[in-house]
Amino acid sequence: MSAAGMTKRAAPVLACIGLLVVWQVASLALKNDSFPTAIGAMRAIPDILGDKESLINILASLRRMAMGFGAAVLVSIPLGLLMGRSAAVAAFFNPLLMVIYPVPKAALMPIIMLWLGVGDITKTLVIFLGVSLPVIYHSFEGAKAVEEKMLWSGAAMGLSPVQRLVRIVLPAALPEILTGCRTGLVLALITMITSEMIARQSGAGNILFNALDMGQYETVFAMIIIVGAMGICLDAIFERVRARLVRWSEPQFDMPLSFS
Amino acid sequence: MKARQNGRGSNDAPHGCANDSLSGRLLAKLMPLNPRASGTEGGMTVVSARSSEWVRPVTQQDPASAIIEIDRVSQVFQTSARKDHVALSDISLTIEEGAFVSILGPSGCGKSTLLYIVGGFVSPTSGAARMKGQAITGPGPDRGPVFQEFALFPWKTVLGNVMYGPRQQGVRAAEAEAQSRALIEMVGLKGYENFYPKELSGGMKQRVALARTLAYHPEVLLMDEPFGALDAHTRTRLQNDLLNIWERDRKTVLFVTHSVDEAVFLSDKVVMMSKSPGRIRQVIDIDLPRPRRRNELLLDPRYQKYVVDIERMFDESDQAGAPA
Ligand SMILES: Nc1ncnc2c1ncn2[C@@H]1O[C@H](COP(=O)(O)OP(=O)(O)OP(=O)(O)O)[C@@H](O)[C@H]1O
Ligand SMILES: [Mg+2]
Repeated sequence: MSAAGMTKRAAPVLACIGLLVVWQVASLALKNDSFPTAIGAMRAIPDILGDKESLINILASLRRMAMGFGAAVLVSIPLGLLMGRSAAVAAFFNPLLMVIYPVPKAALMPIIMLWLGVGDITKTLVIFLGVSLPVIYHSFEGAKAVEEKMLWSGAAMGLSPVQRLVRIVLPAALPEILTGCRTGLVLALITMITSEMIARQSGAGNILFNALDMGQYETVFAMIIIVGAMGICLDAIFERVRARLVRWSEPQFDMPLSFS
Repeated sequence: MKARQNGRGSNDAPHGCANDSLSGRLLAKLMPLNPRASGTEGGMTVVSARSSEWVRPVTQQDPASAIIEIDRVSQVFQTSARKDHVALSDISLTIEEGAFVSILGPSGCGKSTLLYIVGGFVSPTSGAARMKGQAITGPGPDRGPVFQEFALFPWKTVLGNVMYGPRQQGVRAAEAEAQSRALIEMVGLKGYENFYPKELSGGMKQRVALARTLAYHPEVLLMDEPFGALDAHTRTRLQNDLLNIWERDRKTVLFVTHSVDEAVFLSDKVVMMSKSPGRIRQVIDIDLPRPRRRNELLLDPRYQKYVVDIERMFDESDQAGAPA
């Protein structure tokens, strides 16, 4: 591997180490109870991950997130694609989505809790709402941009309207759809923690805020690191899958970018 | 280099069927001449004759009868300036089965629009187009378009694009693949089967588009400047290949082009259009022997006369279209 390649690989690791060093120095200098040292926080991580109850909590969070995200993607992609190809469907759903879009989904939680209780359904539903909008929006834009002549070519080969939607519009819009899904994934993580902050009962957010109440600041910071690491891992895995699925559309950067 | 030689080798085969194309030519000779060939003034009487036929849509079904009839078709577009734009005005044209018909005219005269109407992608503002006596209401695999913009499926490889039509028609995968590979070789893209469209040049994309349409064997080919983006060499080669395919299969071809040479070289009939609004100016029968060979034809004074005459007409129609 070339020297340039080595630095490229090492860069994120070095950035992380740098951040931890700054943290460690800052907390030693400030000597504040609510700001534990980096080493202290890191030491708390194995304790959390080694604890059976904590693990059950974190897994419950991940399960809700997966269900909310999965359901949102399954509903939003077809809806977005239909809106992109049919003016009537778009005219019906657009005003509705425009109203829902700027409302923070967590702000709806009190009402949903009132109706559906504080259990899994409420939290999953909030995640579902958080993920839906970017996925619908990107699917819509992707479907709208599909070249007409491509659909005509399909029609001439004998594809029915439904077949054209599934076999032409969907693959043609896939790069855009997956961009929406990536945003949705990060939003799922955010709404997951937020929902558990509001309706405390189980989950990663529950551990975090309970520790905060009890003044266990090292656990608080350890949880932040764990949740952050989860987000980074999920995003990296998704990005790999995405790049593989839409290799046909990626521009090839054999040349280094001018600003790199 | 090798691919090209192979291509030539396989192209020689159709010449064995000279008898076929000869009988085809005889049939073409026996067919009644299109009265429109006499020019625009004569056109008026033709239109009235057509309109009586329109009332009684049952047409005589000779073996070499009309396959496509375009009946007083007009197309008006609403432009963003809220003004009506007449793209096509009162177009009537009959295309006989197995004929090679070119549409020639200045840019913006409505050639593509006319092709879309025959393809069933656009329905005309007034008038009607018919295929084998049936009104055209939508696209179908009997009419295969090759678009000016290629419209390849970017998520499919070259092979995937060419196989798409046959697979959709229910051809078995192995068979579709073998046929598609042969077509890809014919258009000179052997070795590029697994390339994605973004990895191809403009001319290569155009050749894939041609192969993709040929792959599902449409009865009528609707080609919109299919050789427009090609270099002179490839263009000549593909013109020859297209003629070979046509002489072998006797597909009906409706071929839009800007090039007078190309139109005369390929066609039985050249339809000259003029601009603003798009009208048929003249229909010229090209009475040159087939199979046509480029090197012989270029020296043929009849060919040269057709080219010169049509080029002059083209200039006139360009001027005539300019002010309005
Ligand atoms: N969807 C549309 N909306 C409005 N006007 C259109 C539309 N499509 C075509 N036109 C107009 O109709 C006319 C004919 O267009 P068309 O594409 O058929 O021309 P063309 O003869 O194929 O030109 P070229 O040789 O440049 O491809 C043009 O003046 C164009 O502006
Ligand atoms: Mg055109």
